[in-house]
Amino acid sequence: MEKSDVRSLYLLAAFLVCAYSLPFLIGIQFGTVRADEQWFAYLATVVFAGILQGGVYAMFAVGLTLIFGVMRIINAAHGEMVMMGAYLTWVAFFYLGVDPLLALVFTLPIAFLLGVALQKVLLNAVVGQPELTALLVTFGLGLTMIYVAELIFTTDFRTIPYAPQTVQVTRTIAVGQNKLISFVMAVSISAAVYLFLKFSRLGKAIRATALNAEVAMVCGINVQRIYLVTTGIAVALAVAGGALVSIQFGFNPETGVVYTLQAFAIVILGGRGHYVGALIGGLMLAVLENLVSLMIPNGTAAVELAAYGLMIFVLLIRPGGLMGVKEA
Amino acid sequence: MRAHRACLAIIVAILVLGAGSAAAKHRPNNEVVMGGAISQTGQYAEPAGRQVNSIKLWVDEVNARGGLLGHKVVARLLDDKSDTQTAIKLYEKLITEDKVDLLLAPYSSGITEAVANVNERYKMPFVAYGAASSPIWEKNRKYIFNIVAVAEDYQKGAVHLAKQIGVKTIAIIGQDSLFPRQAGKGAKEWAKKLGINVVLEENYPPKQTDFTALLQKIKAAGAEGLISNSYFADAAAQLRQMRELNVNFKLYSSTVGPGLPNFPEQLGNTAEYVLGFSQWEPLPQILKHPGMKEYIEAYEKRFNEKPNYHAGGAYGSLLVTEAAIKKAGSFDNEKLREALATLDITTTFGRYKVDAKGMNSHEGLTFQILRGQRKVVWPDKFAETKAELPMPEWSKR
Repeated sequence: MEKSDVRSLYLLAAFLVCAYSLPFLIGIQFGTVRADEQWFAYLATVVFAGILQGGVYAMFAVGLTLIFGVMRIINAAHGEMVMMGAYLTWVAFFYLGVDPLLALVFTLPIAFLLGVALQKVLLNAVVGQPELTALLVTFGLGLTMIYVAELIFTTDFRTIPYAPQTVQVTRTIAVGQNKLISFVMAVSISAAVYLFLKFSRLGKAIRATALNAEVAMVCGINVQRIYLVTTGIAVALAVAGGALVSIQFGFNPETGVVYTLQAFAIVILGGRGHYVGALIGGLMLAVLENLVSLMIPNGTAAVELAAYGLMIFVLLIRPGGLMGVKEA
Repeated sequence: MRAHRACLAIIVAILVLGAGSAAAKHRPNNEVVMGGAISQTGQYAEPAGRQVNSIKLWVDEVNARGGLLGHKVVARLLDDKSDTQTAIKLYEKLITEDKVDLLLAPYSSGITEAVANVNERYKMPFVAYGAASSPIWEKNRKYIFNIVAVAEDYQKGAVHLAKQIGVKTIAIIGQDSLFPRQAGKGAKEWAKKLGINVVLEENYPPKQTDFTALLQKIKAAGAEGLISNSYFADAAAQLRQMRELNVNFKLYSSTVGPGLPNFPEQLGNTAEYVLGFSQWEPLPQILKHPGMKEYIEAYEKRFNEKPNYHAGGAYGSLLVTEAAIKKAGSFDNEKLREALATLDITTTFGRYKVDAKGMNSHEGLTFQILRGQRKVVWPDKFAETKAELPMPEWSKR
């Protein structure tokens, strides 16, 4: 490890300590932080909820980072794919009467095939082009998806009343059943994808392509096929994320934008193209958001400021993100 | 022959003078045109569409009664696409190009606020059935009249109910935009008047979906009741997360969400015991306003549903306008303005009598969702049933 790299790590650690203690300091200043058992229970609930949330965010961020890592394409329509997943689940639940998690059995293959088609029709044309071209194409795709969804589903908010009960984790910490289920699903799916990339032949080929597409090609890897599989997996991850989001929150065709931004922040925080980084980034972001909201007066409005502020400072200190390597 | 000509001249003169006083001289067929831009597409299409229904119903009814001052009423309805800029342009066009005789109001506080500058400039009055934000009437405008209860009074009933059940501390939260902020301001003032302590006030961004931390914060602040100035998505999220986190309040009230028909449908029994606000309900046996029964029957027959408060407000406003024109005896803008400012009448929507600012003091209704139905619980004189408060804890449902 280079000396400057070590220094930036120390700087980053110092910054993170500051960033996470700031809400506490402001809270103490305004008297919203108390030192009794009851208050610690609120704090614990909020941190726990943040971790559960972060797990789900991380899952669809992995999809974003995967496409970027392999093809250098910034997928600005990723949030819309999450939104599509939410609507697929909604239709399965209300029209076909299928359990939202069971619905994944057929929505994920559909999503994978959609991803393959997307790669063939649209993205193959922009691989290797300047990054801005891909960004514009996917941005247009996202807008198209929003308007199509509005045509079919109108702008009304939808919710899926799935597992609305509470789970008492300890005497003082309670959490929603649906949040717990979502987290477990998100972690299992992310872990499966991680193991696939790490150990399977195809997964290794994907990683090789991400490292250097030309060398991979020389080694006999069918790069075109890798691209198809990668986009397929990424879209499936987004749709799975959509299913898990849909059982927790209300959504309409425009909610995807929020998820695109969130996934971007996580990917940049964790390090572009880095899978474990996305997981850590997701957890960090969600926990910080909840801390700010809990302790700072009128803090719910300051959540985004904190999230993107964190992102900018991490980038300043370590341009490659938390886990990222120094870019050449 | 000469006598004939003189006769004709006199007739023409009478016609011109008569029509001149009615300001409808350019219309053939003895028509008056009532024009307005109202959202028929876009985010406001649903509530505004109900108002369009009432407008159509009234136009047919008034023509069956012989029209306005003997003139047949023709409605000219344009679509502002729920967009403020489009609404401004369309009102300019209606007034200057189409030269309509009377104006209809647009829908939503934001659009009405913008359009109020246009009709003010051309001195054409209207009754604003689609706007409930009081700042519209705090700018010394003379040609816009309020009929519905304002945002500040949306939580009045909820705060009174909180007082009744002995709640001492409340939190007031709301989406960070004009209407919810005004509602929050009003709630705070009512709490102060009734001696209830507001322990937390917070506005959240319109796209907020996760209220976990905010709910914990509200609990930590020691609030017994939660006053939420929210629409559909945020109110639904708050209730679901209250249940998930086992956070219990003695009372929860939301301004807009619970009033929408699909709220109990999509939330199931999580929506039970929630308080909401309504400007009006199709309950003639309880509200006892004159003509309500006939209006509700006619509306239901034509549109296959009972009128909601948006429809009721628009219909009431048109009855007020009709009475004002009768009182003014003319379509002259100044005379009509004067009549609208001094009129005292009770219509299907309730009493209309404005103060110096042009504001009516319409009394709204607070309802509670009980067994999937909205039931009026406040004020007492209009209550269909007694409020079931405090809300039972989630674990006991």
